[in-house]
Amino acid sequence: MVSGNSTTARGYRAGPSVWWTLPALAFFVVFALVPLVGVGVLSLMKWDGLSAPRWTGLRNWTHILSDPVTGKAAVLSVKIIVLSWLVQTPLSLLLGIFTAGRQRYRNVLAVLYFVPLLFSSAAVAIAFKAILDPNFGISRAVGWSFLSRDWLGDPQLVLATVVFVIAWQFVPFHTLLYQAGVRQIPAVLYEAATIDGAGPLQQFRWITLPQLRYTVVTSSTLMVVGSLTYFDVVFVLTGGGPGYSTRLLPLDMYLTGFTANDMGGASVLAAILVVTGLLLALGFTRLSGFNRMQSQQEGI
Amino acid sequence: MQRSLRYWSVLTSIATATALLAACGTSGPGGSKSSGEAATAWILTGPTEATFRASFDTWNKAHPDEQIKVQSFENDAYKQKVRSAVGAGQAPTLIFGWAGGVLKSYVDAGAVDDLTSDIDASTTSHFLPSVTKVGQIQDKLYAVPNNGVKPAVIYYNKDLFQKIGAQPPATWEQLVGLVPRFKAAGIAPITVSGQDKWPLLMWEEYLVDRIGGPDVMKRVLANAPNAWSDPAFIQANTMIQQLVDAGGFVNGFASISTKTGADVALLYTGKAAMNLNLPSAYQTIQTGDPSFLSGGKLGYLPFPAVAGGKGNPKNVVGNPSNYWSVSSKASDQQKKTALDYLRTGLETDDYSEALLKIGLVPPTTGAQAKLASSSNGPYLQTIYDAAQQAPNFQLSWDQALAPAQGDALLTNLQQVFLKQITPAQFSANMNKTLGS
Amino acid sequence: MLDLETPLSTSVRKAPAPPRPARSRPHRTNVPGAIGGFAWLLVVMVPVYFIVVTTFRGQAGFFAGNPFALPTAPTLANYAEVIQHDFVRYVLNSVIVTTGAVVVTLAVSLIAAYAVVRGRGRGIRFVFSVFLLGLAIPLHATIIPLYYLITRLRLYDSLLGLILPSVAFAIPVTVLILSNFLRDIPQELFESMRMDGASEWQTLIRLALPLVRPALVTVAIYDGLNAWNGFLFPLILTQSEERRVLPLSLWAFQGEFTVAIPGMLAAVVLSTLPMVVLYVLGRRYLVSGLTAGFGR
Repeated sequence: MVSGNSTTARGYRAGPSVWWTLPALAFFVVFALVPLVGVGVLSLMKWDGLSAPRWTGLRNWTHILSDPVTGKAAVLSVKIIVLSWLVQTPLSLLLGIFTAGRQRYRNVLAVLYFVPLLFSSAAVAIAFKAILDPNFGISRAVGWSFLSRDWLGDPQLVLATVVFVIAWQFVPFHTLLYQAGVRQIPAVLYEAATIDGAGPLQQFRWITLPQLRYTVVTSSTLMVVGSLTYFDVVFVLTGGGPGYSTRLLPLDMYLTGFTANDMGGASVLAAILVVTGLLLALGFTRLSGFNRMQSQQEGI
Repeated sequence: MQRSLRYWSVLTSIATATALLAACGTSGPGGSKSSGEAATAWILTGPTEATFRASFDTWNKAHPDEQIKVQSFENDAYKQKVRSAVGAGQAPTLIFGWAGGVLKSYVDAGAVDDLTSDIDASTTSHFLPSVTKVGQIQDKLYAVPNNGVKPAVIYYNKDLFQKIGAQPPATWEQLVGLVPRFKAAGIAPITVSGQDKWPLLMWEEYLVDRIGGPDVMKRVLANAPNAWSDPAFIQANTMIQQLVDAGGFVNGFASISTKTGADVALLYTGKAAMNLNLPSAYQTIQTGDPSFLSGGKLGYLPFPAVAGGKGNPKNVVGNPSNYWSVSSKASDQQKKTALDYLRTGLETDDYSEALLKIGLVPPTTGAQAKLASSSNGPYLQTIYDAAQQAPNFQLSWDQALAPAQGDALLTNLQQVFLKQITPAQFSANMNKTLGS
Repeated sequence: MLDLETPLSTSVRKAPAPPRPARSRPHRTNVPGAIGGFAWLLVVMVPVYFIVVTTFRGQAGFFAGNPFALPTAPTLANYAEVIQHDFVRYVLNSVIVTTGAVVVTLAVSLIAAYAVVRGRGRGIRFVFSVFLLGLAIPLHATIIPLYYLITRLRLYDSLLGLILPSVAFAIPVTVLILSNFLRDIPQELFESMRMDGASEWQTLIRLALPLVRPALVTVAIYDGLNAWNGFLFPLILTQSEERRVLPLSLWAFQGEFTVAIPGMLAAVVLSTLPMVVLYVLGRRYLVSGLTAGFGR
């Protein structure tokens, strides 16, 4: 680390020294960066969680990478991310525009839309487990046969169910983002468009959408990067089942580590997660390069 | 001011770092001694929780110097937690378990004490020899039985059988033959919790045993190459998938969780006719709907025979018992407390009575005399006979196997039930776990 | 590494002050919009209604009868049973962990953010880049080494062992948000403080702290929610009932109650109550805290 000697050279006019960042840095290094390095180290070791770890070279890597379960988990993670984005983005966008309106009933609805955000992930998962129970859940209430499906037990359906539950939990959050975004669009744009005779759909296409592009990028980034941590809700809801149907990478990591007691193999999966997350974040930065150029705000 | 802040930051950081390093240097996982002198014990939630608590309460009242603190966990949560705790060197003094592969991994890691000299014949002679044997590894005693004998049997709703005019099945063919008749009456033939996976395993264990006998699994446990390709596995899984195809299992069984008791609830609410389960099903009914028992509506029968199979139809699978092991990381005082409890506090008349009252057969030689006088008499006699007369009592495979194999087994078996993989794929997948 | 700064950093910038006057759209009724809006309301509220109404059912009422009908014999027994199962202790543990994590995070992050904004030199910029790196990495993937570290520090199964990593994981985003707010303080104010001979420390306490107070509230709620709802850390880093926090207690409650599902759902409702209270009393703060300035 480069130390900030500027203080001595120019007095405190040069501002606070690098030492001010030390407490925060210490926490971050010890409990985030050291474990991050630990992921790499442990991925080269055999450790069952009980006895002392032993070096095993690249054996964990070849084992995990050749295990078909890993491939399935990776594909599944991508599917969940893409499906979640496809479901949540249009919904949040429309709901955001809807709740940005100042009509009284819309304000009331906006208050109620918020309710899922009050539940923790564990609470959401436990509640939906009860709600979706094929015999004692809500399907019994209405007697519509299409509701009485094996939502959590049918390998064909469970993915859709998980995407729905995640959407139920997170759409309110993204709705808030879009609501804030819409409310910042200058009203004059709409007034001008109305004078030019543009209908609501055209206004949406040519004003609302382009004006919301930063919000779309922000919301999508949070959605994609955040989806790597959908662990809690899926873990409690399905435990990765049935079979391997919802065993996402983070879940695969947990189960490999703490149920099958292969900490080395789990560290390989963790390393894959870290690298993927980093690449995704970099990718989004690249993608939104225009964002930086057009940003009217000063750089960092 | 500026300077003081800098010093403050540096000092705190150095202090933190030193403390962390010092702690790192002195102990690895497993190195720390549990503090406090009271021994600890972890138990499972559910029907037996109260029985265990009562046993420890009695002990604590009589032994103010040798206290035991009790905590309870849900079954699946417990299995994951206890592993982390043992790995972190913070296991409870008394470790609750099922023996088998998990116990062996504890022994290999030196996490539990050899009890052979501490718990001698004066204690162990009270227990059924077949049950005690499960707690031994290479002739050394590491685990002492602490719970009822738990063979799996088929529980059935007598009313529903009467409704369609059927007799309880004695053979697999009869069982399969009942499926269309129950379905025609709008009744689910069999309820099972497919979400928790282990209830599915009992079907597999019984079928493989009936078809190929106990040796099939012995070869797997001995890590013989391609042991999972035994024809008995292929045939058993084929029969399971045929039963699934015929609609034998209740719709949506893969969503049903035994954690909420929903599987057994289907039986006593008259929605499903049969349930292959451990005796815990009986206790679930006791709390869920006691009138179902007092009304004589619950029937129970051994798993049916399979025509042409090599296995003795009297063989049972399940959990011979549960077991206490003593953590090697406990303090001497804690260990002394735990051993004293195992010697004199565990197997008492009160405890046997309490087990009998909730419908469990104590794992003791003296239990038989007490069965008849219990309110659960006929049921207990059935369970006792099943366990007593069985030429082979197979410990649940997920417990008998090493943890990684057990995990793969349960998931692959769930896929068999969901028809995501064929019997041949099951065998191939499982063969890969051998020797790992 | 600086490439990482967009879009996260720009998007996490404080929302520009007061929104332009509300769009004075004529109140023509948007029929499809209203229908869609109410449809989503159903999706949101039907599960909530089911959860709440089920908690008042007894065993018989739950297994028989329509799950949407009001219970014929409403009972509070499920709530009573949840509270008897040491629920208050779990709430208390959650409060301790949340408070501890938030206070420490804010303290160290504010000082660091101040240095980042006011300081010069490569060292500070490097540290800031390290924090930005923390934003891009799914830190939860480090749980296995973290578990190893915590057991070695003898912090396994302690509330402190939950607080410390929570602080570490919250620091990057907290520093980023706070530094964005600090940057918006007009340069002249700092100048005049300097003219008055105030040290950097005095400037931080007397000038910056009051001005960023709204941001502190926002980011405190954001960090607090993460700590309050956190599941993975307690799942792996704690074991005993004495250290159990709320979200974990919900998971551990499975199978614990005589009337299983209504009991579980009563626990879910009780665990949500503190948030409901917060929402009713300070909706504005909660919303701003949730989005923590992510809203452009």
